[in-house]
Amino acid sequence: MIAAFSPELVSKIEALAGRYPAKAAALLPVLHLVQSERGHVSAEDERAVAGLLGMPPIKVREVMTFYTMFRRSSVGRYHIQVCTNLSCSLAGGEALAAYLEAKLGVKLGGTTPDGRFTLTGVECLGACETAPCLMVNFDYYGNLDAARVDELLGSLT
Amino acid sequence: MIKLFIDGAAVEVPEGTTVFKAAEQAGIELPHFCFHPAFAPEGSCRLCLIQIEGSPKLELGCSTVVREGMKVVTQSPAVREARRGVLEFLLAEHPLDCPICDKAGECKLQDYSRDYGLTESAFREFKEKRDKKVAIGEKLLLDRERCIQCTRCVRFLAAITKSHELGVFERGVHAEIGILEGGPVRNGYSGNLVDLCPVGAITDTDFRFKTRPWFLSRGESVCPHCGRGCNIYVDYQPGFPRVPGSAKVFRIRPRTNEAVNGPWICDAGRYGYVRAQNEGRSDRPFWNKDGAKTGLAWDTAMAVLGDKLRALADAGRADRVAVAATSWLTNEELFLLKKIFRDDFGAGRIVMCDPPPGEWDDFLRRPDRTPNARGARELGFDPAPPTLEALARGTEVLILFGPHIAERFAADELRAALRGIAVKVLVTPHFTGLEGLMDGVLASATPAEKDGSFTNFEGRVQPFAAAARPCPDVRSELAILAALAGSLGLRPDYYGRLTTAAAVRRELAKDIPFFGGAA
Amino acid sequence: MTKAPQVLTEFFWLEQLHRIEAYVARGGYAALKKALAEMTAEQVHDEVKKAALRGRGGAGFPAGVKWGFIPKGTDKPKYLCVNADEGEPGTFKDKYILSHDPHLLIEGIVLASYAVGIHSAYVYIRGEYETIARRLEQAIDEARGAGFLGRNILGSGFDLEIVVHRGAGAYICGEETALLESLEGKRGNPRLKPPFPAVVGLFQCPTVINNVETLANVPGIIRNGAGWFLELGLPKDGGTRIFGVSGAVAKPGIYELPSGTSLREIIFTHAGGMKDGRKLKAVIPGGMSSPILKADEIDVRMDVDSVAAAGSMLGSGGIIVIADGTPILQVLRKVAEFYAHESCGQCTPCRLGTSWIRKTVERMAAGRGQAGDVDALIRLAANIQGRTLCPLGDAAAMPVTAIARKFRAELEGGLATAGARP
Repeated sequence: MIAAFSPELVSKIEALAGRYPAKAAALLPVLHLVQSERGHVSAEDERAVAGLLGMPPIKVREVMTFYTMFRRSSVGRYHIQVCTNLSCSLAGGEALAAYLEAKLGVKLGGTTPDGRFTLTGVECLGACETAPCLMVNFDYYGNLDAARVDELLGSLT
Repeated sequence: MIKLFIDGAAVEVPEGTTVFKAAEQAGIELPHFCFHPAFAPEGSCRLCLIQIEGSPKLELGCSTVVREGMKVVTQSPAVREARRGVLEFLLAEHPLDCPICDKAGECKLQDYSRDYGLTESAFREFKEKRDKKVAIGEKLLLDRERCIQCTRCVRFLAAITKSHELGVFERGVHAEIGILEGGPVRNGYSGNLVDLCPVGAITDTDFRFKTRPWFLSRGESVCPHCGRGCNIYVDYQPGFPRVPGSAKVFRIRPRTNEAVNGPWICDAGRYGYVRAQNEGRSDRPFWNKDGAKTGLAWDTAMAVLGDKLRALADAGRADRVAVAATSWLTNEELFLLKKIFRDDFGAGRIVMCDPPPGEWDDFLRRPDRTPNARGARELGFDPAPPTLEALARGTEVLILFGPHIAERFAADELRAALRGIAVKVLVTPHFTGLEGLMDGVLASATPAEKDGSFTNFEGRVQPFAAAARPCPDVRSELAILAALAGSLGLRPDYYGRLTTAAAVRRELAKDIPFFGGAA
Repeated sequence: MTKAPQVLTEFFWLEQLHRIEAYVARGGYAALKKALAEMTAEQVHDEVKKAALRGRGGAGFPAGVKWGFIPKGTDKPKYLCVNADEGEPGTFKDKYILSHDPHLLIEGIVLASYAVGIHSAYVYIRGEYETIARRLEQAIDEARGAGFLGRNILGSGFDLEIVVHRGAGAYICGEETALLESLEGKRGNPRLKPPFPAVVGLFQCPTVINNVETLANVPGIIRNGAGWFLELGLPKDGGTRIFGVSGAVAKPGIYELPSGTSLREIIFTHAGGMKDGRKLKAVIPGGMSSPILKADEIDVRMDVDSVAAAGSMLGSGGIIVIADGTPILQVLRKVAEFYAHESCGQCTPCRLGTSWIRKTVERMAAGRGQAGDVDALIRLAANIQGRTLCPLGDAAAMPVTAIARKFRAELEGGLATAGARP
């Protein structure tokens, strides 16, 4: 049932599917699209995507749970993803994560009560030359210290 | 053909054969979990690693294709160490459930652990805790702690039933098998997952906690629930308590026959044994007089029926006898029935009373709800079900094989139609309520309890021997018919020999060209 | 000393380099014009083979040889997949090519496709590089608008379309067959090989998979010739490499240097040496999957064969510098956590071995280590290495083995005294 998707979203999905010889190949880009428009991908969204791309719904669930970037429930307006890998660790990544936890009042994995921030730990973001670093939604921030973190958080209204 | 060497022995196989299959031909079964002959190689369990001369790394037996002159070693220290490594990893996160796990005794993980001497664990960490009783289907429970991620279950539902109810969620050590909400395994073949699962991760609620495989004896038979004739194993406990001398059947499993059913059976056949074998069984002959059931000894029962039949024959009214056969009877029983009642006794009417057709699919299930409709046809029986009026008209003695007439006609109709028949005898394995309308009931065996053969819908004659023993006062229809011939005094030199299925089969092969090869 | 030639990164620091006008103005797409006008596909292929261009993703396999595995005369469509997944910890070089000089990559893609007879290319870019992916798509639109992509490119009769396809957070999708699975819309589970992607690849068709930096080198090779490329590097390992240096150095960043430059030189001459005057303890030379080198092992030339001879891997050239004062257990812990998190879970040794290793290392890090733990880690790693369905198992095992062997004393010195089980 695709009643949940607007006609615009459906046609964007079909356009994505048209870029491949097999519609199923569009699954990851389509899930990114649905997630960007709806905040997360619900079970009903999964069924709708499955129907549009011609695959058993369980295949969508398999992909949703395999890849870390897909979310089955919404996150805060600003999803802060702090790198917990080696180069960042060598540059004080643990301290950065702890500082963020303290400032936001949530542990890694949590969302602030006002829904503004979700804080998660992620693996190497490919920005080791600016360690310690993090991503806010899709924007990279590096060379962070307490002052820069305060500045950053202040700017995220 | 390709010639290669496995553990020094030369083996010749067609091009494209895998090392696994070539080894099988050489009498070696490589240890394996994820591999299954019905699917393409998966290569994920890593247990079938073997050494190939010239290759620096160990290679998989399941997916490596043989090459001319290849030298394979299946039992070197390096190979054994690799297998121990895989098993040790599996055991590290595997719960020590053997004492409460249904699979114990037929579990590949147990077997291999014993073969490779893994008795002590070096794992000092905390095991993953997972759900142990996930209802993934009507009769299926998934224990995620026991699951070794071989994915046979997922692949069966993708490749064979194409119903995709199971998937793999999450990744790494957190990977787990699961269903979608509201999407349990429901496709008529779900029971095969229990056989497929190499460990006790997927178990059958039907069999759960009931017994241990080492208490079971295994017999070979043919499933009687439709015209396909899937080959089966009947797992039973001989001498089941409270019914001494008999066998209680605990489960039916597929017996691989590439030409008929492959390694699968359907759920209707697999779980149908509960009703067919164990429930509502008639357990002795009895006579129904004025509402009171009087048990009879077999000799007495045969004598009484024989007297009634002979009386009619002597009075020149043999044609007042009607016999309703069923294609639940074996080829041998149908042959004997025809010989006795049509050729020698001269019964007035011989008809077929079979259940109406049922559900079928494009995999194994056939619409005919009997195992031997084709056999009956080849033996010359008219498959068209009779009308009650035609059956009852002028009939003084009715011998009814099987209770299936009650599946075609309502109880009131039956009672009315049969009222005029003086003697009604039912030969049945089951009490279905129909016996209330009968004068005599002879308790008969189920197909699993007798010798015989069925002809499946394709015309394949499949002989089988008794897989389990019936209660002591139950007789096969063949024995009943042979005894009747005796008590009727028909051609003793002929019928006197025809007391076993094998003997009847030889006669059958002589008489009817279709069965010419059946002896 | 003379500055090393900056053939790839020379213009990275120009504003708006990523726009096509800037690229063309400095000679961009000249190689493509030359190839389509003057060279056959085979000639382009041969030039790349002669240039000894080795894969820059981690495996170091010669690109020209890989292209040659595509069956001739197949009537199936052929595909090129560009591996822009860049998930190897310590690696960030492709990010610069993609964001600063996308047209360099595009030109490389067209040339490679022309050489092999491919008309459909997919760039598999890691999901986190969302902004960069959009920039790449803009560049593709620009290239198409200028006639460098699409149908009948520059009137040559050669067609090519490029599609950008984002991943979604799985390191394993940098492995070529997992990349294919992911591109087909599935879980990133690597495939059994054989068959190899060159024969059965994307959508079951012959497929070439190349890293971003590998392809970015192709325009230079075609414009200036294989000889020029070999001069820059070594006879079996031509060209320059973009090394990424991170960790305890004064100037973390990308450094384009000839293949074969010494690791010591990269760290101490180019990347500014140790940060805050600390002393060197150890270096991971080629991304987290490469075995660690002790401070006295860094006089190794950074080319594929030399690093292999030194018992490690050039890999992705992601150099992670570790200073004295950093507990080696911290490094080991990051290694153990990463591979356990990224294991796809398909095959037994990786799925359960990486988890067991992680649990052991975490117990050690929590102060509950026991005698025998270091030996246990070595044994576990040995039961993973060479036994798995894909190289992630090896990538997980080798660093653990190297750290456990080379820093055994430090690891064992830090263990709680042997005693009761946790």
